[in-house]
Amino acid sequence: MRKFLCATLLSLLLIPPLSAQEVDIFGYFEPQYTVIYLDKSYYQLQSNKLRVDLKSTPSETIEFGANFDWIVYHGKRDWNFLDYIPQNLTSSVPPEMRDAYQFTYEDRNFLDNAYLRLSFSSFDLMVGKQQISLGTGYAFNPTDVFNFKDLMDPTYEQPGHNALRIDCQLSCAFSLLALYSPESSWEESGKLLSLRGRWGHFDFSVMGTETQWTITDYYTFIAAQKRRRMVGGDFAGELLGLGVWAEGAYNFVKEEKDFWELVVGSDYTFDSELYLMLEFYHHSLAKSDFRQYDLNDWLRYFYQEQKALSRDQAYCLVQYPATDLLKIGGSALVSLSDGSIAFVPTALYSLYENVELTLIGNVNVGKESKAYGANQGHSLLLRSRVYF
Amino acid sequence: MKLRTFILLFFCTGLFWVKSAGAQNGTITADTIIQKVTQVMNPAQSKAKMKMTIMTTSKKTRTFVYQAYSANHGEKTLMKYLKPSRVKGQAILMLNNADDIWVYFPRTRRVRKLATHAKKQKMEGSDFSYEDMGAGNAFIDEFESRLLGEEKREGEHCFKLELKRKPKSSSGYSRLVMWVDKESFVPLVVDYYHDDDSTLLEKRLVCGDIKVIDEIPTPMQMVMFNKLDRTQTDMEFLEVTYKVNLGDDLFTQRGMKK
Repeated sequence: MRKFLCATLLSLLLIPPLSAQEVDIFGYFEPQYTVIYLDKSYYQLQSNKLRVDLKSTPSETIEFGANFDWIVYHGKRDWNFLDYIPQNLTSSVPPEMRDAYQFTYEDRNFLDNAYLRLSFSSFDLMVGKQQISLGTGYAFNPTDVFNFKDLMDPTYEQPGHNALRIDCQLSCAFSLLALYSPESSWEESGKLLSLRGRWGHFDFSVMGTETQWTITDYYTFIAAQKRRRMVGGDFAGELLGLGVWAEGAYNFVKEEKDFWELVVGSDYTFDSELYLMLEFYHHSLAKSDFRQYDLNDWLRYFYQEQKALSRDQAYCLVQYPATDLLKIGGSALVSLSDGSIAFVPTALYSLYENVELTLIGNVNVGKESKAYGANQGHSLLLRSRVYF
Repeated sequence: MKLRTFILLFFCTGLFWVKSAGAQNGTITADTIIQKVTQVMNPAQSKAKMKMTIMTTSKKTRTFVYQAYSANHGEKTLMKYLKPSRVKGQAILMLNNADDIWVYFPRTRRVRKLATHAKKQKMEGSDFSYEDMGAGNAFIDEFESRLLGEEKREGEHCFKLELKRKPKSSSGYSRLVMWVDKESFVPLVVDYYHDDDSTLLEKRLVCGDIKVIDEIPTPMQMVMFNKLDRTQTDMEFLEVTYKVNLGDDLFTQRGMKK
């Protein structure tokens, strides 16, 4: 099936049909080089990603969009999560079990998004694999039960989700979003209903979702699917000259303890164009005492089953346009619960019209056993992206 | 509301030709001129394809092409980037005379609301800030105007005006000096002075190649000179029409995504 999709899309690229002029083809090529310092050793990982987007708008009411990604990896592709976890927790893992915690960067070719959008006078209907983006938070999105952000690079594109979506414009200020993400049964499928509105200079939304949540016991590798119902909301606006936003979600999990998440954020741009952002994040299921982090906590976080390891966190972002073409800055991830910090210096340079260079560092300065402990190593990523 | 009226004129609005007003300039006041400038800068609706070229300090150029829509006399504005590929599909929506701004990123389908302070940021690295891109009655609401006299500028007879920021204004410019064509009431040159130093010239906008489009005179070329950074951004109308019927649903977050 994958080969078929590859061939189909390649044929669109290489052997343009008569109607090709109606299909807009664009995308980017993204080579990436990462050097990792872990346990007194240096490692290298390179990847090359080609993303090809197709977009066709046969009429004002019909749009087809898709993108296909090819990603190949080189260098050190095999890693083990246990290398990032404090030794006092991993020492109890039998040597013959260590391979179970290994993960490999496998080459991937996949159809990331492929959707059809039909626009009617008062609503849009969108069917297929598509981006789902929820919440006003920058680094953390409690209401987004479909995605898991990389805190080192929170704005990087997310994978597409198979869904049927209706966006209904109720008035200039209010809209309704209904989304159904089908799985093998109705019970297992994702559902979302959201009312969005504007009040004064504030945007807000209230929403409810039902999804399946996978929780794995990483001592036994037994995974359980739990029904997760979430009610939440968010807002974004301005207060005393500062940009402000908040996002909260309360989760009801079948046969498990309920939990809630909250994000509060603020930002400001100074006259010098220096941009500052601060976000606070609370996850009630995460632990406030780092001595209580266990193997499951770490691995559920690494495997993206749970969005946080420590209960209270802060995310600080600074950006400054050093020149017309160079933007420098960085972020700091602070675990307020255990006092550890990860620094993420960044630089973005516009090399040519459609060529960008990005540098992302990662320096963990916390003590071992803490969320951003130095034992997790440090890294430097150089990414170039050529758009076409 | 800040000084954003003027720039929007050249992005997404046209000008009403007010021929008759110039004839009475013997007694005309600064307030009347500014009212007429504001009036001519905000036609009911417009649709334009614009090209923006940034000349950086290192003499490199960056070119953007976008589609711009405006309605309700400039109160609503939507910009959608067409080129380059790097920003293709991105959109900026400004409502309530740019008091409310949203930016849409197509690769993540995320819409982000910007607070007022973000208007100080350069738009895609150009010499136009988000603040400059907005619309509305900023010349009237944010500034006290004073007629300094008459001068010939860009080959045309002009009114020379000084606009000083009102005490409670949130504009990023302390004052403006503007040369307004006496015939059409088109501002041909605008000097923008620094937020903290009213004697420090920060930017200069120069307009030219005025053509009549749908009976509305439109400066087809505009150049914003940044006097501090020694950079400049050229703006050019590739297509423009004022005879359009744009629905309210275009100026929504749903409209940004289409």
